Amino acid sequence: MTSANVIEVEEPEVKETIACCDVRLPAGLLGFEQMKNYLLIAKPAEAPFRWLQVKGNPSLAFVVIEPFLFLPDYQPDIPAADVDFLGLSSPADAAVYAIVTVAGPHRATVNLKGPVVINRNTGLAKQVVIANAAKYSVQQPLPVNDSAA
Amino acid sequence: MLILSRKSGESIVIDGRIHVKVVRVEGEVVKIGIEAPSEVPVHRQEVYAEIQRSNQQALTRQSVELPKLPLAGPAKPQGEPAKSL
Repeated sequence: MTSANVIEVEEPEVKETIACCDVRLPAGLLGFEQMKNYLLIAKPAEAPFRWLQVKGNPSLAFVVIEPFLFLPDYQPDIPAADVDFLGLSSPADAAVYAIVTVAGPHRATVNLKGPVVINRNTGLAKQVVIANAAKYSVQQPLPVNDSAA
Repeated sequence: MLILSRKSGESIVIDGRIHVKVVRVEGEVVKIGIEAPSEVPVHRQEVYAEIQRSNQQALTRQSVELPKLPLAGPAKPQGEPAKSL
């Protein structure tokens, strides 16, 4: 009896486990050059969104998402200089996140011209202006459920 | 800022490898041709301004209600390597 109760109480906590990684942006984000250290935070309840939170200042954060989840054809052309800077030796080394602008519970856009590219192995990151930026929007609407579900 | 006068058809060379040529002048519009090694990113200045503005709009100062996506759920993207980034 007691052990069953313990399991019921613990399960929600396990689901809410927050995964967190250090991300270093030596150049900052465009317009936020002075903020260089971030945490990439994944809360299961908010998947597939994640938070790029300024380290030491939890009240400053950006919502990010992997653009390939809703745009499988997205092909960001990362300039060779950025590939070198990030120390990427294969595409699998790179985690690509688009910054989300949340305009309300039913409207959000993503920036596909300037994704944040993170080296999965080192946490070194940069907001990359992709070489084929002209093909993409800084305000690509996210396909959201428009009814209050 | 270095300011140079150029006529249509004349060029500027930067660092011995980047060629900027005034191709044509039509009223207020100047057509510029740029030849640069593939590792040198070339963008209109507006792209940087656009991304900067987008970042400023995206900055979240407090917890917000995130939209529900049709694809929502703790779905793992396929082929994700072991690291959780």
